[in-house]
Amino acid sequence: MILMQTKALFIDAYRELNAKKLFWITMALNLVAVIIFASLGITQQGVTFWHWQFESMYFNTGLISQELFYKLQFTSWGAGFWLSWVTTILALVSTAGIIPDLISGGTIEPVLSKPIGRIRLFLTKYLTGLLFVALQILVFSLGCFVVLGIRGGAWEFGLFLALPIVLAFFSFLFSFCALVGLVTRSTIASLLLTMLFWSMIFVVNLGDNIMLQQREGWKLQLQDRQEAIEPQIRFAETRLEQWRDEGGAIPGEGDEPLPEDVTDVLEVVNPTLRQSRERAEQAEEAVETWTTWASRVFALKTILPKTQETIALLERNLISDEELSRLLGTGDNDFSPDEDMPAMADPRATKAVAESMRERSILWILGTSFVFEGVLLALCCWIFARRDF
Amino acid sequence: MEAVIDVQGVEKMYRRRVHALRGVDLRVGSGEIFGLLGPNGAGKSTLVKVLLTVIRATKCQGTLLGAKVGDKGVLRQVGYLPEHHNFPKYLTSRQLLRHFGAMSGVQRAQRNRKADELLEVVGMNDWANAKLGSYSKGMRQRVGLAQALMNDPKLVILDEPTDGVDPIGRKDIREILIRLKDEGRTIFLNSHLLSELEMVCDRVAIMVHGLVRQQGTIEELTDGQSGFAVRAMGPISDELRATISSRLSGIDAIKTNDPSEIVFATSDADAVQPAIDALRSSGVTIRQFGFRRPSLEELFVKAVQEHPDGARPGAQRKGARS
Repeated sequence: MILMQTKALFIDAYRELNAKKLFWITMALNLVAVIIFASLGITQQGVTFWHWQFESMYFNTGLISQELFYKLQFTSWGAGFWLSWVTTILALVSTAGIIPDLISGGTIEPVLSKPIGRIRLFLTKYLTGLLFVALQILVFSLGCFVVLGIRGGAWEFGLFLALPIVLAFFSFLFSFCALVGLVTRSTIASLLLTMLFWSMIFVVNLGDNIMLQQREGWKLQLQDRQEAIEPQIRFAETRLEQWRDEGGAIPGEGDEPLPEDVTDVLEVVNPTLRQSRERAEQAEEAVETWTTWASRVFALKTILPKTQETIALLERNLISDEELSRLLGTGDNDFSPDEDMPAMADPRATKAVAESMRERSILWILGTSFVFEGVLLALCCWIFARRDF
Repeated sequence: MEAVIDVQGVEKMYRRRVHALRGVDLRVGSGEIFGLLGPNGAGKSTLVKVLLTVIRATKCQGTLLGAKVGDKGVLRQVGYLPEHHNFPKYLTSRQLLRHFGAMSGVQRAQRNRKADELLEVVGMNDWANAKLGSYSKGMRQRVGLAQALMNDPKLVILDEPTDGVDPIGRKDIREILIRLKDEGRTIFLNSHLLSELEMVCDRVAIMVHGLVRQQGTIEELTDGQSGFAVRAMGPISDELRATISSRLSGIDAIKTNDPSEIVFATSDADAVQPAIDALRSSGVTIRQFGFRRPSLEELFVKAVQEHPDGARPGAQRKGARS
């Protein structure tokens, strides 16, 4: 009977989706997105769209293969923008009413009077909400899979990882949406508060990126500044030797006092050394400060769902470290640090942040996010099981 | 008679303030049509919802179809039509029936057959493939009734089943209820339409402010209140009433609100003749004489009026005088 009831609830959910025009509008938009995806191409000169050609020094077959180009398009705008923004917003609009509609007066009574446990009823309804997104992702991924196979020459089954990954991403938001819907009984409230919650996560992610960029930028600056001190010390030592040879008075030796604002005689001999040491100390303090802030944001993120990192898992799986490194540019050899450049603007920091993000464990990303979702769902079940309708 | 519903001391307190049920004792026998009456806010729907696990009782002892109240499994044998139902408008009536059949655990082939059969019974077979959103209230009520019967229930609980239904539809529903009873099913009715309940119910209970004040067959409830009534052209004086009472030893007069009427608690017409003689000899013109049994409505109004706040809508709030 459990299977029969579950099937009945899923069929009902499908009929409900079918009745909602937004489901088909989203489906049509997904097909349009696949057509756009198929219209993109890459040549030796640059990127093509239909019969138009755009020259590019970064995107051409001399630098990246067709396969990588399509995989990159899929992970960046396909999953990173289309599925995780456009489809998600449309899905939230379509599914935000599932729980409030279920518990509305006149609807819930006949359902609860059937031989189905409340928790199972709630969780099945919750899963039917995910059905919307699953169907949309499946259509989009299938379309992109065919495009990549025909145009990119690679039948990349890894593209279908978008289904569990984007579904997990959506479920984090949907669990919050379901909780608000259950508490407020309002579709509008659950939709708006979920959007607000999502915006909050976005801000935290943005903060995380800024903190990491600052930390990595200052680490590099510290490294650069420490490296810059060495030649200055050598220069000061040479000069000090010259002074001694010339019989000049050496501060700090004999009767000649050492000025109060210097650390050692080398700074007297080479005044820029003092500045460099101060700059290195500043960088060290900045590294410490930004490391502390980055840790705090990381701790905050640990209790929240990791939307950004979850979607990035797709890129991790489809694009290797080597390919990513090539795309970001090795940079190290070509880049010459500028003393006045802000730490955040350092292109090496961008690469370091990308690497740092990739180092975050899947257990942390998905594990803690699912714990968050689990806690919210447990709360929902508790409320739903105890409420009088 | 085996009890289908047998509950004692059912209590429901909302947020520790509103006392919706205050110790309801109720027994519904197998195969009968049982009517639950009560003014708005008396707790009728709350009681039904407690039985169906839609609401959790604060205190409840008893059984539903032999299982402890709250047991989900037993609901497989129960059909329910809520008062203000709001079935999904995107479904056709056939889809709705099949959906709820599946939710009750009815096998596919059986529910397909049963859905068509019930749509025929409630006169909705021509609308089987039309979406519920296009139905009138009466049509939705008919489909709702069919929905409650999808699982061949032993117990059918109907909350205001004729609400919004036209007179022909009401007659149809009454006939369906009688047919269900003939099939051996138990029917529990919540309704405000007392005349309809009177036509079909074997037993009734009157609920006021969260308590069952009376329950039994209509005959049992009217026992001691029915008898021969004499109605005069004008008011009958107290002296004359006293004279008549002295002449009819052993027969009590039933109190009525009509000053021109005297009702004697007897079914023996001969025993009342001396009263008629006394009235006539006093010059009183008699305009009506006959056996009279109070209607369900009169019983209901009386039960409600006997309770100080009975006519006031809403459940009893904690601290209020009962």
